[in-house]
Amino acid sequence: MDWTTKDIYPFSAIVGQEKMTRALILNAICPSLGGLLIRGEKGTAKSTAVRALAAVLPEIEVVSVCPFNCDPHEHERLCPQCKARLNQGLDLHVRKRKTNVIDLPLGATEDMVLGSLDLEYAVKEGKRRFTPGLLASAHRGILYIDEINLLNDHIVDVILDAAGMGINIVEREGISYVHRAEFILIGTMNPEEGELRPQLLDRFGMCIQIEGIEDPDERVRLIKLRERFDRNSTDFIKAYQDRQNSLSQKIMRAKEQLPHITISDKMVQLCSILALDAFVAGHRADIVIRKTALAIACYEGRDEVTEHDVNEAADLVLLHRMRMPPPPPQHRHEEKERAQEEPPDDEKKKEKEKPETQNQQEAEVREDQEVEKKDQEESERSLSHIPMLEKVFPVGDAFKVKRIQTERDRTLRKGSGRRSRTRTSSKAGRYIMSTMERKTNDLALDATLRAAAPYQKRRSREDVAIAIEDSDIREKIREKRVGNFIVFVVDASGSMGAGKRMIETKGAILSLLVDAYQKRDKVAMVAFKGDRAEVLLPPTSSIELAHRLLEDLPTGGKTPLPHGISLGYQIIQSYFHKDPHIYPLLILVSDGKANVSQYGGKPLSEAMEMAEEIKNDTRVNTAVVDVEKPGLISFGLARQLSLQMGARYFKIEDLKADTLVEVLREDLLV
Amino acid sequence: MENQKLIYHFTAIVGQEKMKNALILNAINPKLGGVLIRGEKGTAKSTAVRSLAALLPDIEVVADCKFGCNPHSKAQMCQECINRIDSGEDLPIKKTKTRVIELPVGSTEDRVVGTLDLEHAIKKGEKRFEPGILAEANRGILYVDEVNLLDDHIVDILLDSAAMGVNVVEREGVSYSHPAEFILIGTMNPEEGELRPQLLDRFGLCVHIQGIADLDQRVEVVKRRASYEQDPAGFHEAWIEEDERLQQAIVRAKGLLEHVTISDDILYLIARIAIDMNVDGHRADIMMMKASKTLAAFNGRSEVLKEDVQKAADMALQHRMRRKPFQKPGVEEGKLKGIISHAHSHTHEHAHTRPHKHSDAPPA
Repeated sequence: MDWTTKDIYPFSAIVGQEKMTRALILNAICPSLGGLLIRGEKGTAKSTAVRALAAVLPEIEVVSVCPFNCDPHEHERLCPQCKARLNQGLDLHVRKRKTNVIDLPLGATEDMVLGSLDLEYAVKEGKRRFTPGLLASAHRGILYIDEINLLNDHIVDVILDAAGMGINIVEREGISYVHRAEFILIGTMNPEEGELRPQLLDRFGMCIQIEGIEDPDERVRLIKLRERFDRNSTDFIKAYQDRQNSLSQKIMRAKEQLPHITISDKMVQLCSILALDAFVAGHRADIVIRKTALAIACYEGRDEVTEHDVNEAADLVLLHRMRMPPPPPQHRHEEKERAQEEPPDDEKKKEKEKPETQNQQEAEVREDQEVEKKDQEESERSLSHIPMLEKVFPVGDAFKVKRIQTERDRTLRKGSGRRSRTRTSSKAGRYIMSTMERKTNDLALDATLRAAAPYQKRRSREDVAIAIEDSDIREKIREKRVGNFIVFVVDASGSMGAGKRMIETKGAILSLLVDAYQKRDKVAMVAFKGDRAEVLLPPTSSIELAHRLLEDLPTGGKTPLPHGISLGYQIIQSYFHKDPHIYPLLILVSDGKANVSQYGGKPLSEAMEMAEEIKNDTRVNTAVVDVEKPGLISFGLARQLSLQMGARYFKIEDLKADTLVEVLREDLLV
Repeated sequence: MENQKLIYHFTAIVGQEKMKNALILNAINPKLGGVLIRGEKGTAKSTAVRSLAALLPDIEVVADCKFGCNPHSKAQMCQECINRIDSGEDLPIKKTKTRVIELPVGSTEDRVVGTLDLEHAIKKGEKRFEPGILAEANRGILYVDEVNLLDDHIVDILLDSAAMGVNVVEREGVSYSHPAEFILIGTMNPEEGELRPQLLDRFGLCVHIQGIADLDQRVEVVKRRASYEQDPAGFHEAWIEEDERLQQAIVRAKGLLEHVTISDDILYLIARIAIDMNVDGHRADIMMMKASKTLAAFNGRSEVLKEDVQKAADMALQHRMRRKPFQKPGVEEGKLKGIISHAHSHTHEHAHTRPHKHSDAPPA
């Protein structure tokens, strides 16, 4: 898309958000800064700013016919075609044009990002030729990914590979091709929608967090400008043309000045001191701070870097790299968790990620800190929860509930970027790449055509341009985010009312619900008390509803445990019909006692039988939360039940730590 | 025209004034960014959206363009139309009804964004783009019933193109982009799950509707429905005039809209509301501004009054309040009224004690 022909809100008319506009400009001045990630709430001009940037970017010289945006002055780095032209003594047709801003849509498929076989050429000539993709177009420009946290993992890997090396290596469809792909990666995201994978986070040179403007004067100014733009965008853009031009020139001048600027040893030292203070990993931060400080000085028209420049640079560079001084205690858990989370289905990816494991952990610690900051806000906000819970529990251990929630929150947040994903075999989901394997009957037309194309000259064709043979058939590999399906089976019998058990239990379920909300899991809830069990909540992703029901859940009466277990299992079974790709998890919250039978047998042995049945169904994961109070007499019934069910077992004490969620996650992530 | 008779008339819908208002505002001003209708089953949500089409004024399109490009604005054209203009061609223009395109919940991605034209590829050995639902919806209404049940990856695509007004396709061997400016109208039943915050924010306005509690009105609903089913032609006769009156009002308001002014006091009130109600970002401010202007135009005024802001705020903030986990979305009406009634003295004082130093005028 050529954004310059569209009515784009002018960059110089953006109100406030100086940090963001400045960071964008700095990247334009010095492309080797490593790109920019903009995190911010919705409606804060993130996308507007990036799209508007294109108009003020400096012009570059390119070989006009080259699809790879070759730089005509760097003879060593020309693409093969341009090199050939040069060797033949032909003119390269140098052309000046604006730096490209290439949009990577979320639905992009692999072939379009990397480049693929030139279909039309192959049909006509019977030869294979490479047709460049988005990475080629982005060379020497900007690759922009809106909502980058929602981008498909596979595509992210492909982009990261290229961004890391500055070249794109294509080996597919019988084509082998290498071309330069040096681009500035700019991503925008709203953290509400999930976090970014740590490896990706680390790739960005800078990261900034933006918020809405609080000052009423500025807000009004913003509304007014927007109103004028909406009224007549052409006039508005014209009115800002001078400002746009002078900004563009300023960037141009800074870019030219960049090689001539000096930085004193003292300032370089300051870069490292600041990096050290933030406990960053490796030396990347120091280097980027230094470069950024240089770019800032240039932009300000100075020929030497000041302390102020370094501080500003550090502010932009360190946000996503900061770590906590001592390694947090749960670090050990993370390692374990990480090891288990490696996607087992994708060997190639695994190998690729291995050398990065170190980085990942570091990045995770970094993320931790950010999360913790957020947690503080969160805990302040969650204060308003307390009266709500107090109403339900007159015993109201407000402090405890809050604590459970915040602590849980921390682990949960960290995981929010990693929703379970799976390659689906049904025709739903996002098409990412193709395969020669024939399983699903889900034809990947483009890939099939490309496979058939080179042979067309030799095949007999009647009325068609492309004759397809069986061996050409390619199928789609689709990816769909598969939510987990959590069924809570909650004991609401009289014994649960004793002590603070129900409060603690509800607190724990609530924490899990928050997690489910962020991952868009489905939940269902079964409670059992008195004579029978009841489906309180049919499978839904409305966590709000679940929460309300949880609040109103009364406690009292006898304990029909067998009915509870069987009803929970029934829900899972029937849900399998609807969506066979779901990962179900049954969580039984009980002390294992039973005194009402379902079929007239002994209640406890009925429960054990059902537990056995569930164990034999390998599709279902299970966990038992033992809510028995530790006392003089301990029956350990829940423990027995968990063994019988093949379930993970924890005590209610575990709910106060992060363990429950962690273990559950290990279970869930397949 | 024949099948228009089959459609229930917009004006014949009993009650649900908020919903009808929000839809009318979008018909007057397509830049309002659509509306999300939240409500229980059987509250005339879908009926209202489908019947809205009949009220929408005709638009001029490039006659032979598959995206229905606007012949008067180069900035909103597809590449083919731009090329045609650049080569000096006069684009053929025709008038057409604004379309309401439905996005079924089970839609696949290729159907939504468009895909590789199979027939053309096999017959001719060339790649050609086959437009999808987003192309059809250009300059019309994109209606998603049960929008909360939409597949996540389809939602992502909607977000992408709703934000830019452009559908960028980079898939299945096709690289293509075309204008996709549509009014996004979604309906949902909140009991079946919430919408993701990012998509929620893309809807300009949001209304929450409930079944009617008034007995007489309920009876009226049943009666009208019965007469519509028994005698569609008679029903059409009975309501067509009312529909036409509303249509004329919409056209008048459309004309008046660009003359509506908004005072600084009102703008400060809007900013104050946004700050005090603790909304995310600035889209709420902009939407309140646009909606209150449109409301003024619909009421035949060329100046925005406080009451417009109050109504607009209700619709623009409904889904933008920063929610605590599990809190029901909605506007605290009391708080909103407090801000607005309190605003008079405040903005007055504000306007006098703080000279507005910043220049909104662009540089000379």
